[in-house]
Amino acid sequence: MNERPGNGPAIEARGLVKRYGDEVVAVDGVDLSIPTNRIYGLLGPNGAGKTTMISILTTLLEPTAGEAKVVGLDVVKQASDVRQRIGVTFQEMVLDDELTGRQVLDYHGRLYRMGKAERKARTEELLALVELVQAAERQAKTYSGGMKRRLELARALMTTPEVLFLDEPTLGLDPRTRARIWDYLRDLREEGGTTLLLTTHYMDEAEELADTVGIIDRGKLVAEGLPQELIEQMGADTIHVIGDGERDEFVEKVRTLPFVQTVDVGRTVIQIGVDSGSKRLVEIISQATGSAFTVEDIRVSKPSLGDVFLKYTGRRLRDTDGNRTQHRMPLMS
Amino acid sequence: MAAAATLWSKQMRKFLANPEEMFGLMIQPILWVVLFGAGMKRMLPADMAGSEDPYVTFMLPGIVVLSALGGAIGGGSVWLTERLRGIVKGYLVAPIPRLSILMGNALSTMTKSMFQAIIVLMVGVLLGAKLNANPLGWLGGLVLVAGFGLGFSGIALAMASQTDNPGAYHAMIMVFNLPLLFLSNALYPLATMPTWMRIGSLLNPVTHTTDGLRQMMFRDPSALAGSDPLPLWLCWVAVLAFAALGMCLAYAAFRKSIN
Repeated sequence: MNERPGNGPAIEARGLVKRYGDEVVAVDGVDLSIPTNRIYGLLGPNGAGKTTMISILTTLLEPTAGEAKVVGLDVVKQASDVRQRIGVTFQEMVLDDELTGRQVLDYHGRLYRMGKAERKARTEELLALVELVQAAERQAKTYSGGMKRRLELARALMTTPEVLFLDEPTLGLDPRTRARIWDYLRDLREEGGTTLLLTTHYMDEAEELADTVGIIDRGKLVAEGLPQELIEQMGADTIHVIGDGERDEFVEKVRTLPFVQTVDVGRTVIQIGVDSGSKRLVEIISQATGSAFTVEDIRVSKPSLGDVFLKYTGRRLRDTDGNRTQHRMPLMS
Repeated sequence: MAAAATLWSKQMRKFLANPEEMFGLMIQPILWVVLFGAGMKRMLPADMAGSEDPYVTFMLPGIVVLSALGGAIGGGSVWLTERLRGIVKGYLVAPIPRLSILMGNALSTMTKSMFQAIIVLMVGVLLGAKLNANPLGWLGGLVLVAGFGLGFSGIALAMASQTDNPGAYHAMIMVFNLPLLFLSNALYPLATMPTWMRIGSLLNPVTHTTDGLRQMMFRDPSALAGSDPLPLWLCWVAVLAFAALGMCLAYAAFRKSIN
């Protein structure tokens, strides 16, 4: 591994701001500090500022204010050194698809001034890793979406980067391909030596992969922590009740119970925050007994990152971008 | 400039894997030589139409220049496609000088244009155009065409950096095509033009490239030119200045588009 100046974090940002014109603030004062050998998941809805963050950290955009360092190097003043040390995949597919898979990797290595023997060895190693050996001599335009993504991942890994930036790495992929890509990324962490910053608007992806999750909304980092920690901070389990009849009376009675922390009355569902869901289920139901309220459906849920997101942003993390066909919805409670 | 060489090599490989692009760009110049050349031949006074084909000899240099222009337009659309598909972003995150990205494109465009120019030349020679017997002059002529190609690729790249719409790019660039051909000495001599047209033609680098090419590469250039040719040094100066101007335009537009 290359020596880096100091043994600081792999990625560090202070007061990062990106403004377009006078109106649009894409990134609004973000501080980040990501230690080496971690997978950091930047979670947020479309338009939250994730891609702008990545663009700044990968030297594509200069910040309006603040500063950022990757492996201790300033992304503006030492952009060229930063570029040498990072690997990137973009949100959209970016492939010279008239080239074969093998050529894509080889040209990438040449651009980064890798020697011929090293290029050749690394190409074969990566083709094997992403299971594209069979397809290596075919033009990339004949590849499926998942194969293209895997090729892109291999290309980003070609130069053995110290920091890997993946912008929505599994966007639009089928579940099986996603699971495979997650596997590669986990393997990469096991191997060590690589810090990974990925953006996603999928809760499950963040939960599955990230050591640390940062929730970004409207350009601000609103929460950060280990996924489990963030979820535990939510404290309560939630009991969801759907019923018919005098809801107000039922809600009033439930509110007075000592173990009830919050009561959220929605249009159809009443959400009750309690210390332990399974233990309190019966007691909640019993409140309805003898009242003009009938419980029709009741369900306990553990809080998820989705709830964490809801808490910090007041919004559900739902994909509102109608142009894209999603294969699944983000994990919701 | 290792990066420029890598990008050049990549473009060339794609080009060779995809010969349709080259043939597509060559159809137009070849039609000019074959159809326009054949049509014009009989209009010339009998004493000028000797054993060879003086009109094809006369027009071929201009059409070679036209094919270089077509190549430059192709280079601009390669750039536009790479921009729109995000491939340029891939170059921008790579540790390579910004200028090498532009150079890689311009050099590969120039190489492709040279291929096309040579093929068009060969077609013209088959149809009766006469070259002189001076291989050094041929080389000089090709360099001159390359210089013109570089200048025009600069203009094409600048335009391709400023639009996000391939249709708009082609519409914009096609505006140049015919006026540059007609307002030059490619199809008819400067001497027979009305004065206003001659002035316009003298401001058009196609004229200087064509004239230089005629003098260096073709037999008896004055037979149909009907006047003294332009001084050769002037042709060189004009073409080199045009090449430099084109590259400056491209670089300025490129810097603007990546920020």
